[in-house]
Amino acid sequence: MSGQARSGSKSWADILNPVEMQRHQQVGLLGILALFVLPVVLPAIYAIYLASALFFATFVMSWDFVSGYTGEISFGHGLFFGVGGYASGMLNLHVGIDPWIAAPLGAVAAGVAGLLIGFPSLRVKGPYFSLITLVTPIILISVFRFFPDWTGGELGLVSVGAVENFGAIGPIPSPGVDPYAGYYLALFVFLFALALFVAITRSDAGMVFTAIRADEISVAATGKNPAKFKLFAFVVSGLVGGFAGAMYGHSVGGFNVSELLALLISIEVIIAAILGGIGTITGAAVGGLFFYLLRVFIRNLDTVTVPFTGAEIELVIPLLDVAVGEIYFLLFGIVTFAFLFYLPEGIVPRVVGEWRARSEPQSGEAVADGGTSRGERVVESWTDDLRELFGGDRR
Amino acid sequence: MVSAISVAADVLMLGALYSLIAIGFTLIFGVGGVLNLAHGGIITVGAYSAYAVEAASGSIVAGAIAAAVVSAAFALALYRGLISKIRHNPVTVLILTLVVAIITEQAALVVFGGQELVVRQLLEGTVTVFGESIQRNRILVFVLSWVLIGGLFYFVNRTRTGKAILATSMSDKGAALVGIDSEYVYTYTWVLAGALAGLAGLFLASFQTASPLMGRNPLLLSFAIVVLGGLGSIRGSVIGAYLISFLDQITIRFISERLAGVSALIVLVLVLLIRPKGLFGRELVEE
Repeated sequence: MSGQARSGSKSWADILNPVEMQRHQQVGLLGILALFVLPVVLPAIYAIYLASALFFATFVMSWDFVSGYTGEISFGHGLFFGVGGYASGMLNLHVGIDPWIAAPLGAVAAGVAGLLIGFPSLRVKGPYFSLITLVTPIILISVFRFFPDWTGGELGLVSVGAVENFGAIGPIPSPGVDPYAGYYLALFVFLFALALFVAITRSDAGMVFTAIRADEISVAATGKNPAKFKLFAFVVSGLVGGFAGAMYGHSVGGFNVSELLALLISIEVIIAAILGGIGTITGAAVGGLFFYLLRVFIRNLDTVTVPFTGAEIELVIPLLDVAVGEIYFLLFGIVTFAFLFYLPEGIVPRVVGEWRARSEPQSGEAVADGGTSRGERVVESWTDDLRELFGGDRR
Repeated sequence: MVSAISVAADVLMLGALYSLIAIGFTLIFGVGGVLNLAHGGIITVGAYSAYAVEAASGSIVAGAIAAAVVSAAFALALYRGLISKIRHNPVTVLILTLVVAIITEQAALVVFGGQELVVRQLLEGTVTVFGESIQRNRILVFVLSWVLIGGLFYFVNRTRTGKAILATSMSDKGAALVGIDSEYVYTYTWVLAGALAGLAGLFLASFQTASPLMGRNPLLLSFAIVVLGGLGSIRGSVIGAYLISFLDQITIRFISERLAGVSALIVLVLVLLIRPKGLFGRELVEE
């Protein structure tokens, strides 16, 4: 597997040549291209929604990088978004540091938080690790509540004073004021995280992460220290998550608990990653965008415009006699639930798997180990394949 | 020391109440290996079904029965319809039970509204103990909780079904070898845990109020309780419940109301880091 890894015949030009890529990768590139041109045709309000969706997708990728790859499920990734965001916001508000400098500092703070929490807690495994990560953000929220003068407590930093938005740079308008500038800033953060995570996970380190998920003891037996790799993943994830949290806050002009730290955010991130496909990064990106926009869509489902006539009908649930907009979160929960139950392997692996099954029907192969579930096989074959193509194992 | 007595009364009663919740949580984990994050949702179900039945029939006893039966049925449906199919994938279990909890809360919010509802007390009036007046309702809750805990101990240690539950919690393969149908045992523990959590929901609502999110804080506390006592240990849960409710009350009364629940969570993290198997538990064995 690894002996000839360095002597592969594919150069970077080959790997990055769109013509040579498989269909799903070409579609992915088209998708990124579409993200660049979308604002041209969209009204400003959708640019704002999409910008938030891109930030959310970045959160989801940062979760997938740790939990999707190493298999240690973090239930409190909101901690990173919160620490990054609040550190940046408080540096700006109480010390007066410019947001463009405060945001990277916030990311560093989140990375340090990842180190402080990851170092002791990654020793315990499975549900115990999940429990620790579940409660640390809750403790942090209580600490925030205890120092409302500094953090604004439940209401967020807005209640203490106004956090500055990003300032304008030369001819580019301030992302906090101009929705299109805000969109491209979000897109930049999103693509930065995507490129970083894809590069790491498709490298040899990514292979070690996946191996840790499969069998940690075997990894240790090869002389690699799984704890070190997990801590590395945790800290990098914290850096990027914190960076996204800080950038988000300075774009929208405020930091609050319910958008960055609350349990619900941590859970939504996990759900979105599962929807998109765990352990793929690209799946997490798609899942994050899809999940966020689905929620916006259901929330705005109050009225439906009938085509051609222009008449608006208010959507009302028949038996309960309540408008859809009022119970959007319940509906959203049920839709999510259905997705999780019927599509456990996620959208991206499923779609890619279907394509592959259709284009190469002879690819059915005997399963030597007695069989894993179909979803697991699809995810595995897909990540294997991507890893090969992106140079993790250049053969 | 008037306040000492009221603190003691609160600790005694809340400890018994949290024991009920934590025992159900720990039973499901100890026997089936499932971390049921929907446990807080079952508390909400119990409180609201008691409220609805009490409002319709005018009898709080009927409400109490409803709290136990509806919650047990809810837990049964949850296990048979959902968890038994995905039990072997712990991550999916964690996520889906969380989503179920959120759906339950939102359903309660839609049907009953977000305002806090007052559920009638089981017993009206107060008695005076050492110069401190204590609601009869609280004393009754304390007694009933201990009757339930005692009954559960008797059930698990003395009856055939209870021994089957214990055996399965020690080794499901070993239990299967001597002819115990583990699926039956799992179902049994879910129904038991559901009924206990439902009753705890009613008790909680009868001296506080019922609200859609009422199950969250007890769930967080019961994490701390079961981890402290040892995941899967019933005796540990009772002791853990008392330690945690003592700590929580002390923090609330003498430091700040704003830190409610935090001390318990800090204890949880410390115990997980220092002694993950808790005071009375066995460490999770990966198979």
